Amino acid sequence: MKSSRFVLNLTVATLIGGLVAVGHAEDGATKDEIKIGAFGPLAGPVYMYGKLAMNGLEALFDKVNQEGGIYGRKLKLVREDDACKPEGGIAAVKKLIYDDKVFAINGGGCSNATLAAKPEIVKAGIPFVVNSAVADGISSPPSPNIFTTQLTATIESRAQLKYALEQKAKKIAIVAQHDAWGRSRYEPMMTALKEQLIKPVNDEEMTIDQNDGTVQALKLMQTGADAVLLIVYPKPAAVLIRDSLKLGYKPLWVGQTAIQDLPQLQEQVGIPGALEKFVSITTIPAHPDDPEMAEWRERIKKLFPNDALSVFNLMGIGSGMVVVEALKRAGPDLTREKFLKAMGTIKNFKTGMYPGPITCKPPVSNQCNQSVGWIRFEGGKPKSVGVTTLD
Amino acid sequence: MLMLSYLLATGITTGALYALVALGIVVVYKATEVVNLAHGELFMMGGFLAYTLHVMVKLPYVPSLLLAVAGSFALGILTDRVAFRPLMKEGLASVLLATIGISFLLKGIARVFWGGKGDYLAFPPLVSPEPIRIGNVMIMSQQLVVLLATLAVMLVFGVFFKTTRAGKFMQATASNPRAATLVGIHVSRVYMYTFGVGAAVAGASAVLMAPLTLLYPDIGFVLFIKGFAAAVLGGLTSVPGAIVGGLLVGIFEQLAAGFIGTTIQDVSAFIVIMFALIFLPTGILGVRGIRKI
Amino acid sequence: MRVVVSHRAFLVVLFAALAVLPVVANQYTLFVGNLMMLYIILALGLNLLVGFAGQLAFANAAMYGIGAYGAALLQVRLGLSYWIAAPCGALLAMAIGTLLAFPALRLSGIYLALATLAFAQFTQWVLLHWNTVTFGAGGFPVPQPDFSALGMSPDRGIYYVTWVVTVVLLAFAWRVVRSRVGRAFVAMRDREMAAQALGVDLLRYKAVAFALSGFYAGTAGALYPAVLAYVSPEGFDLFQMILHKAMIVVGGMGSIVGSVIGASLLVYLLELLRQFKATQEIVFGALLLAFVLFQPRGLVYFVKRYVPGWAEPLHYASDSGSSSDVTVADEVVTGSGGGAPR
Repeated sequence: MKSSRFVLNLTVATLIGGLVAVGHAEDGATKDEIKIGAFGPLAGPVYMYGKLAMNGLEALFDKVNQEGGIYGRKLKLVREDDACKPEGGIAAVKKLIYDDKVFAINGGGCSNATLAAKPEIVKAGIPFVVNSAVADGISSPPSPNIFTTQLTATIESRAQLKYALEQKAKKIAIVAQHDAWGRSRYEPMMTALKEQLIKPVNDEEMTIDQNDGTVQALKLMQTGADAVLLIVYPKPAAVLIRDSLKLGYKPLWVGQTAIQDLPQLQEQVGIPGALEKFVSITTIPAHPDDPEMAEWRERIKKLFPNDALSVFNLMGIGSGMVVVEALKRAGPDLTREKFLKAMGTIKNFKTGMYPGPITCKPPVSNQCNQSVGWIRFEGGKPKSVGVTTLD
Repeated sequence: MLMLSYLLATGITTGALYALVALGIVVVYKATEVVNLAHGELFMMGGFLAYTLHVMVKLPYVPSLLLAVAGSFALGILTDRVAFRPLMKEGLASVLLATIGISFLLKGIARVFWGGKGDYLAFPPLVSPEPIRIGNVMIMSQQLVVLLATLAVMLVFGVFFKTTRAGKFMQATASNPRAATLVGIHVSRVYMYTFGVGAAVAGASAVLMAPLTLLYPDIGFVLFIKGFAAAVLGGLTSVPGAIVGGLLVGIFEQLAAGFIGTTIQDVSAFIVIMFALIFLPTGILGVRGIRKI
Repeated sequence: MRVVVSHRAFLVVLFAALAVLPVVANQYTLFVGNLMMLYIILALGLNLLVGFAGQLAFANAAMYGIGAYGAALLQVRLGLSYWIAAPCGALLAMAIGTLLAFPALRLSGIYLALATLAFAQFTQWVLLHWNTVTFGAGGFPVPQPDFSALGMSPDRGIYYVTWVVTVVLLAFAWRVVRSRVGRAFVAMRDREMAAQALGVDLLRYKAVAFALSGFYAGTAGALYPAVLAYVSPEGFDLFQMILHKAMIVVGGMGSIVGSVIGASLLVYLLELLRQFKATQEIVFGALLLAFVLFQPRGLVYFVKRYVPGWAEPLHYASDSGSSSDVTVADEVVTGSGGGAPR
């Protein structure tokens, strides 16, 4: 009896103990390596913002490590899945901080997950550089340990509206997803419209899996909207544009960074000439298929043979370059405080991965990307039509 | 008035999508009394198989379609061997969970192989991508293809179940497996082929629908839920019921979106089903089962 | 060495280990341990409804969500204290769950599954879209209850509260199963007509079953915002429902300890899956399949067979038996079993 109880105790304790972590070196930086954590969706419908961005980051780390690392320390990426859900974000961040014990976090694939995880990050004081999530609440009001290299939802939504108005649109329509992602952009858009005393002629909803946009297109046609601000993912966008073309409806389509891969969007719509009046915000200066991206195409192919270089990889790479630069500036005696201070010295830093340079201005603003690039689709290729820099 | 015609037309074309998925579910259910929860993923794999053959390897359309259907058939048989046969005597819950396991497995595999190629992959349509005019509405030619395919599959299965021996074997197996065995029907083979055929229908549907729905690892799930709802609405044991259910779900969604608001589009089908099942507990065309005591 | 373990010993050891966890674990492990207990509560409630009472319902995750939102909204919108808001959330889930007993009278099997599934989808839609009340998609932060009077951090405090609630609900489920209510459940599940003929009031006992599972799910839901300091609609979707189902099937339907085993094992498995990063779906699917094929009735049946001293009476649903006859008869008729028909 006693020995069996002992065996059972041992088994259960081992099971529970298996959950208890064995601690690594303090702060995630040893003399050989620096552990950088990343969280985002690794599976599920929006895994591009997590898995693919992290793939890009890993390609960058691979390159840096090949070149000797940072003061002899190799960069190691620790990935955690957040399932693009708030509870997933909270769990992933807790794991990275208390269990994986990373030095800093460079990630945040989904706005809602990142927003929910923010209190935990602020409490722990760990440096966090956001690469994909756009929700305003993440970077404002600014926290001393949180920086972002991504545009914010407010910046993008306002830029969309501004563009439409500059094109002399008279009847503005909104088509948006009302999930957490869509809402983070929809609400600043509504605020911006109110400020300008504009009432949109349409306010339609689409879901991320929608297979048909005919109803939405009909409603837009009924009011005669001449500019449609799109707060949707590629599938609803493609479906809406396709069904609008079917009805002969051709407004100005104004997109944002979720639909910035124009060659892919054209393929998804399938009808030639679909993107004639389509314009979108972009976070990258060149398309993955362009010659200047050749090095990264090869690196991604080598590390991930089933993949092809995509916009999402580039998002990870661009942000990672800023982190790597700050790590270098922090010097060989690496601490979190020094890293954060180094982030504050990043001014006019050119990565080649964003339309403009990166400038961080703590404590006033830790939102380091103020350049909004615009692209159209011409001659079968994306063509830049300008970069606006906000101040 | 134009609005109403379009709502109905779109309801029919999206309803056809759901109907095709529902058909596959009903065919399997008719013989086995089990809903294959991995049906959506079998659908998805068929689509990706065709994508690999037609877009990546550049085989022509028809051979790609046929090979994809064959591949789906094989996957269906695998599902039967792995999830159904070993577990069918243990009860519905175990079989359902095993099919759930298979659905995750297939989805994960698809994500590893094709997930990095792009978020939503485009598949070329059978005929031109330009829209065509029918009456006073415009529809995409591929939507017409899907609609015709749905009707064709329904006719084929209708004839199959009523007239062919194999069809009668399947019905016999479903209504009384023991008696079926006693008269010499090789029941386990019937189950196997049923799963295969259900999966083949799913694979073919995917190839036809992919130009409209785009291809991505998660496409199976949402279409399955709607297809399953449509199948139950129509009556799980009825092949025409699957079509009726699918079309009704499609039409209702569009009407709700058009007249109430686009925000209710996605959930309207479920609201209808909740109420429909209160009045028609076995679906619209479902057979009122005799309760065994 | 014979390993003799009683099921009671297993439970005692498990809960003793859980009680001690806050002392040895880091903040993340504490969080996971807390979630494990919530899932035990959820699995218990679902097993009572599906495993014992035989009602194939898919609304458990929705009840979980209603409990969570009830507790969180009463705190955030009306300023009520957590200790009042939480029980209210649980009772709300119980009330709504009980309403589902009515369709359960008319529908059974796959049709009941779909009706409850439709209800769950509708509930999710409401949580996502009713912005003025529920804050809509993306959720909202919830203040954690204060435990400074006891000298504990909120995380530890709510951990111990969960521990106590879990133990109480486990004991209560145990009692229910051994009472006439439990017997009525099993009778209803196995032969509804016969049960009715014997005087089992179907409406009453179905209502009790749905109420109980609603209460359990609602209680777990009421505790959840305090653990997470956040509440969002995305966490109460179909995947959550699949998780609950998996817990009771893998652990053992019709078994109280099976619910505990299933919940603990699945939570442990999900943590293990974190190692697999991008291939976690493949591993999850494969493991689920493996567990079900290995022990279709649940691990607790395996344990009971091979571990002497494990004396929990188990109530797996007996089925009509015709399918199993087929496998044998099929081989007899076609000779695929090898050899002449017997």
